[in-house]
Amino acid sequence: MLLQLEGIFKWVNTGGRRIFLLKDIDLEVEEGEFISIMGPSGSGKSTLLNVIGMLDGFNEGEYNFLNEPVHQLKEKHRANLYKEYIGFVFQAYHLIDDLTVYENIETPLLYKKMKSSERKALVADMLDRFNIVGKKDLFPSQLSGGQQQLVGIARALISKPKLILADEPTGNLNSKQSLEIMELFKQLNEEGVTIIQATHSETNASYGKRIIHLLDGARDDYNK
Amino acid sequence: MFRNYFKIAWRNLLKNKVYSFINIFGLAIGMAVTIMISLWIIDELSFNKFFKNYDQIAQVYQSQTFNGEIGTGQAQPRPLEFLLRQEYGDNFKHLSMSSWNNSMYLQYGDNTLSKRGNFMQEEAIDIFTPKIIKGEANGLKEKNSIMLSESTAKAIFGNEEPIGKVIKVNNQYDMVVTSVYEDLPTNTDLDLLEFIMPWKHYITTQSWIENAADSWGNNSFQMFVQIADNTTMVDVTNKILDSKKKANPNVAEFNPQIFLLPMKDWHLHSNFENGVQVGGRIENVWLFAIIGAFVLFLACINFMNLSTARSEKRAMEVGIRKAIGSNRKQLINQFLSESLLVVLFAFVVAIIIVLLSLNGFNNLASKQIDFPWSNIKFWSLSIVFILFTALVSGSYPALYLSSFRPIKVLKGTFKAGRFAALPRKVLVVTQFTVSIALIIGTLIVMSQIEYSKNRPIGYDKGGLIQIPVMSQEFNGKQDFMRNQFLASGGAIEMSTSSSPTTAIWSNRGGYTWEGKPEDFQEDFAWTEVSAEYVKSLGMKIIEGRDFSREFATDSNAVLVNRTAVEYMGITNPVGKFIRDEAEEDPEPSLQIIGVVEDVITQSPYEPVKQGLYVFDRDGNGNYYNLRLNPNKSVSENLNIIETTFKTHFPNLPFRYEFIDEQYAQKFAAEERVASLARVFTILAILISCLGLFGLASFVAEQRTKEIGVRKVLGATVSNLWMLLSKDFVKLVIIALLIATPLAFYMMSQWIQRFTYRTDISWWIFVAAGIGALIITLITVSFQSIKAALSNPTKSLRTE
Repeated sequence: MLLQLEGIFKWVNTGGRRIFLLKDIDLEVEEGEFISIMGPSGSGKSTLLNVIGMLDGFNEGEYNFLNEPVHQLKEKHRANLYKEYIGFVFQAYHLIDDLTVYENIETPLLYKKMKSSERKALVADMLDRFNIVGKKDLFPSQLSGGQQQLVGIARALISKPKLILADEPTGNLNSKQSLEIMELFKQLNEEGVTIIQATHSETNASYGKRIIHLLDGARDDYNK
Repeated sequence: MFRNYFKIAWRNLLKNKVYSFINIFGLAIGMAVTIMISLWIIDELSFNKFFKNYDQIAQVYQSQTFNGEIGTGQAQPRPLEFLLRQEYGDNFKHLSMSSWNNSMYLQYGDNTLSKRGNFMQEEAIDIFTPKIIKGEANGLKEKNSIMLSESTAKAIFGNEEPIGKVIKVNNQYDMVVTSVYEDLPTNTDLDLLEFIMPWKHYITTQSWIENAADSWGNNSFQMFVQIADNTTMVDVTNKILDSKKKANPNVAEFNPQIFLLPMKDWHLHSNFENGVQVGGRIENVWLFAIIGAFVLFLACINFMNLSTARSEKRAMEVGIRKAIGSNRKQLINQFLSESLLVVLFAFVVAIIIVLLSLNGFNNLASKQIDFPWSNIKFWSLSIVFILFTALVSGSYPALYLSSFRPIKVLKGTFKAGRFAALPRKVLVVTQFTVSIALIIGTLIVMSQIEYSKNRPIGYDKGGLIQIPVMSQEFNGKQDFMRNQFLASGGAIEMSTSSSPTTAIWSNRGGYTWEGKPEDFQEDFAWTEVSAEYVKSLGMKIIEGRDFSREFATDSNAVLVNRTAVEYMGITNPVGKFIRDEAEEDPEPSLQIIGVVEDVITQSPYEPVKQGLYVFDRDGNGNYYNLRLNPNKSVSENLNIIETTFKTHFPNLPFRYEFIDEQYAQKFAAEERVASLARVFTILAILISCLGLFGLASFVAEQRTKEIGVRKVLGATVSNLWMLLSKDFVKLVIIALLIATPLAFYMMSQWIQRFTYRTDISWWIFVAAGIGALIITLITVSFQSIKAALSNPTKSLRTE
């Protein structure tokens, strides 16, 4: 099993009232799955992804990732864990404006303290695979949205993660670009990468092998 | 990894040219100031290190008590030499008596030059080890020998061989050149030694020197020693402390304390107050070190402020980096490398600034500092300095920026909170507190100098020159020369005096008068003058009359100054007598014929000393004082005077000094401090304004939308200008409130050192405050008016 959430609660207190962002979430994810999380705006999709991605904490419950109890780990250990195994793809791509395509893709490897020659080889492979060799010296602002997201995915994949977390990866793209990206995800999944995506779109959700519905922070699969 | 950091840093620099300029230029100024101050301090600390026996050399000092006041000085009596050699000889490796630094005429052929040097004993050569270039290793063995510095030898003999040549000194003595030594470097405190002549010659030149051999009361000589290997300065001092008192009970009432001032203290720790060593130039070293540190700190604050102000722009990058695996340490490293890059650039610019301004700085500080290109120590210190600056300026931004939580940033909900700007405000207040305090300090130093300059000096220093006439050739010719000068039309009056107008060379006690209190240890400034002294200087007689050639009895007359009347405690002084207390062979009593207004001869910051002006019976004054003819130009007068002088003393060089220039010298040290402080203050303000400018532009940018909305709602440009400037003005006012008491306290401490001092007046604080506010408004307004004038439709559309 890749990861397991048990009774996860997350809340914020505003004006004496407790607002639940996540309510009693249970989730088990096996390696090689492709899961789509659906739900209206504010239902907690992003929060759930952030919790899974260890960018955000939670107030109650247990989270095991590759048999490591995330809720008990220290910050540093946790950072190592997600650095090693998790890649992020964002709706707004979140490429670093001041870095070229090549450098954006390379950055995660820098944080893994990889040697320069190895880095070069890996980035070259990735550029090749995504057919963006010709764009490697361009800055993000010189690319279309679809191309930027491609770079974003390449960056997520460069460190060979077991799990890709994609938060509305096609939210800012037109339908043709969306299709390309989703096909890419499918292909990646077939190669063995576990993918969890949050999405509004039924079409995109259908690429997932399993769909989870959220409403007001709680699982809502049973109504569907 | 670091290449990646530097790449980003570099691109960031290029992208934000204004910020980069402010950062680099501001830091560069700060660093340049620090580098220059460091060079200055290094130079100060290097003083006297040239001497091989630096650790063992000392000058013998003496403290004596007069009326409960302890006075300390270098002057020693001759018998002390014999006493120390005989009774305490084990403590010294070498000992040498020395004269004061004298100016002498050295004549060779038709060439006569005035040079400065000392008479010293043979052992002085062992103590100070000058590097002998030519001639004997010790050139003081023969009584009629003279040692010359390299430049003096060159000036006298050109390319001729100097050794063995005969020089006529003061047109009196024939001296043989025995050795030539390398000029001493400028960073030594030993007297300027353009020549050295033997002590054994000196003691035969004048009878009073010869007679001083057994006079314990005649403290008129210097003494230098090199202590023995097996002892310490403190030990030797402890042994010789009471040596003079024990050897001569007659002087016990003055409690003479003999002690060593080690060479390491000569330059920076040579001030004594009531017998206690109280520092000296070291205070300036500290002052400038603190100013340097502050200026650098101000520049670092700019960097911190601008980096954190731009944090919202960098926040996204931080979020992404964290999301793709960066930990906080790596981000901190990244931001530190950015600041390192900026500091590196700034350092290069700073070096350029230093090179360009070193000349001006040297003039300002009267130094001869060269840029230490080949000094490895300087460069390795520079590396430490660069790293330190990068760390100071980069640490806060690095910690702040790396603390962002990624999801917040990435969700786009990140807004620096209301309190995020607080540290920035604190830093701006700090900057302006320092700047305003510096402004106030500088103004007070300047007003103190101005105040002392405007102090009535008791005579008319304009149009007055003095000609030193210390050679025997002048003896007995003063009346003749006076007639010649007056007849020439270049001068309207002339007098002679035993000391220059701007100094006291002789002090005397041993007198009594009617109503003198018991046990009163009197001490008068003693000047021997010719009859027209008061007239030529333009002094004021406030009681009685001036000297007159018509009264033969005036040879035993004395003029006293106003302070002396109070000091002696006599009423109706005119006609009273001042009697010599000596039992055998007393000098004739002096009758007071008049009282003159106090004349500032010593420090313009101190009260005038009680002084006696006695009639010069021998006619051997050391100075001619000439009142120039006001109906002619100064250069005409000088030409005439020189011609007259040369007619009668063709072999002697014509030297003269303007009294007003001599007087201005008294302010040189304080003015140097003031002008350096002024420069540093201006730089500090410049740096603070650069930072303020950057912050203002940032705030204007940040509030673009708000300004647009307000404009649409009907705000005028002046409304908006007020809105944007108000926040900064508030900060400066807070800074003013902090700086005022701080500066007041520190400057009241400083000004205490002057007896004659200005009140710290309120207008200085008002002026500093208004000045700071105006500078702030000008700096901020540029940005705020620009923002206020921008087209609202444009700014609103961008959202």
